[in-house]
Amino acid sequence: MQYNDKLNLKKLDQDLITVNKKKKKVQKIGMENWMKGIFFMCAVFSISSIVFMIYFIFSSGIPFITEYGVARFLTGTTWAPSNTPGSYGILPMMIGSILVTGGATLIGMPIGILTAVFMAAYCPPELYKILKAAVNLMAAIPSILYGFFALQFIVPFMREVAGGTGMNMMTAMILLGLMILPTIISLSEAALRAVPRSYYEGSLALGTTHEKTVLSVMVPAAKSGIISSVILGIGRAIGETMAVVLIAGNQPIIPDSLFSGVRTLTTNIVLEMAYAQGEHKEALIATAAVLFLFILMINSLFLYVKKKRG
Amino acid sequence: MTITKWIKFATVSGAALILAACGGSNQSEEAEAQLGGNDFDQTQNVHVISREDGSGTRGAFTEITGILAKDGDKETDLTYSGATIQNNTNAVMTSVAQDIAAIGYISMDSLNDSVKAVSIDDVSPSIETIQQKEYPISRPFNLAYKGELSEAAEDFWNYIMSKEGQQIIAEEGLVQVVQQAPAYQASEGLSGTISVVGSTSVTPVMEKLAEAYQTLQPNVQIDITSNGSSAGMTAAMDGTAEIGMSSRELTEEETSQLESEAIAIDGIAVIVHKDNPVQSLTTEQVKQIFTGELDTWEGLAP
Repeated sequence: MQYNDKLNLKKLDQDLITVNKKKKKVQKIGMENWMKGIFFMCAVFSISSIVFMIYFIFSSGIPFITEYGVARFLTGTTWAPSNTPGSYGILPMMIGSILVTGGATLIGMPIGILTAVFMAAYCPPELYKILKAAVNLMAAIPSILYGFFALQFIVPFMREVAGGTGMNMMTAMILLGLMILPTIISLSEAALRAVPRSYYEGSLALGTTHEKTVLSVMVPAAKSGIISSVILGIGRAIGETMAVVLIAGNQPIIPDSLFSGVRTLTTNIVLEMAYAQGEHKEALIATAAVLFLFILMINSLFLYVKKKRG
Repeated sequence: MTITKWIKFATVSGAALILAACGGSNQSEEAEAQLGGNDFDQTQNVHVISREDGSGTRGAFTEITGILAKDGDKETDLTYSGATIQNNTNAVMTSVAQDIAAIGYISMDSLNDSVKAVSIDDVSPSIETIQQKEYPISRPFNLAYKGELSEAAEDFWNYIMSKEGQQIIAEEGLVQVVQQAPAYQASEGLSGTISVVGSTSVTPVMEKLAEAYQTLQPNVQIDITSNGSSAGMTAAMDGTAEIGMSSRELTEEETSQLESEAIAIDGIAVIVHKDNPVQSLTTEQVKQIFTGELDTWEGLAP
């Protein structure tokens, strides 16, 4: 009898424990679901905003392009919204964007990658702290400040060197070359640092020098990361607006030399959006749609390079 | 060691480039200071600075000077394709203030000492010369009506010509037509709808006027349609609109049928660098400069 009681008590205890455990588990699951819901909402919010953006840009841009004529819009060389009827050819701006971005990459890429190599493989720790902070600061400076800097220094310099107003394609290339440096430097440096230490040591063990190892082993191993950084830099250059509008001259013509004025897709939109009405405004949104396609292409390229690495 | 050397070389040449850039800017300032007066190099190219398409100032400037060529329904803006485009008045003024070979145009009210406004056809731009219609690069903003105005419309008209109305006109960067206008006397118990139709250039200031007027006379509704000066005058003549807006002088046919009055004048100053010796240009020269026909300063300075 006594024994039985004891057993029952023990059983009761155990039952209680399981009930409590179940309760806790139920609570925990409730909490988890709730948080999951919040995360999900956040994800939905960010994704839906991009979907809405794509919808807005293309739904307002495409009707104009089809009405005006795809070929006429994309290959037309005259941009003259003040004319009646207006001319809306964006070829000069497309070429402008491509040339300026290309030039900026040519300037920014070697400097950026070599800086990253220096930071990852040569830099003394004290200098590194300063350099790293400086690169981060460069990335954080608002683009309008870059624009003012260029207006005060690069434009007068160009006026001396090349004549004219000093506001030309070369000025824009130099400025954008500067602006894409932080992107290229920090991502390339991260890629170089991600190369396994054993690569470096193995190469040294084979009797090579530090320089040879960095250049022939580390950089090739980090190749796809470095290429990604350059592609992201290109993305930044092609999207840059506020700094470029101050210093590029903004003529809607196909540039015939490095020192000719240039207008890019982004500056075309920001220049004229304020007072644009009717057809003119639609043409500017259509310009935005073309710009969007450019960015999509650059991002797909980025994804492709990244996937190849994986 | 080659890479270390290479990096050192890159650092040094980079630093040299930056220093050279700074040096360059100083030199150009000195050069600018030395120029001016008789030293002005007349053979240098004119650096034309214009505003962006869609800007009201550009619209007015190209229309008045004839840069906007009209052929029936077709209009072609002949602005020089090599002209630097700036999208605000300040940017135009800064560009002109920094470059001795530059020429630009701005709305009259923004003019200040940082640049020099040239005389046009020997008339210097000022509030007085614009009010007396002597300065050529200006245009009146006319309102016109046929027969008699309704009570509400007449009150609105009085408001526009009052001190308060002219104040709004000045705030919009336009020249007032009357210097000391009487204060607005609000009439009691007005109601109704006023339809105002016409010039796209007059529309922005008209919207401001209507907005301010409706806070004083909440029962009066003002409908503004923006479809061009000629359409506005036609609407006023055939009675589809009570008031027509026009940013040009009325034609003979229009004046024979309509009562009109200028409510404001839009004036545009042509500006050059302060050290530029050019004092005066003709309207034709302005047109030739801004269409790229005249591309150097030769023969323009006295």
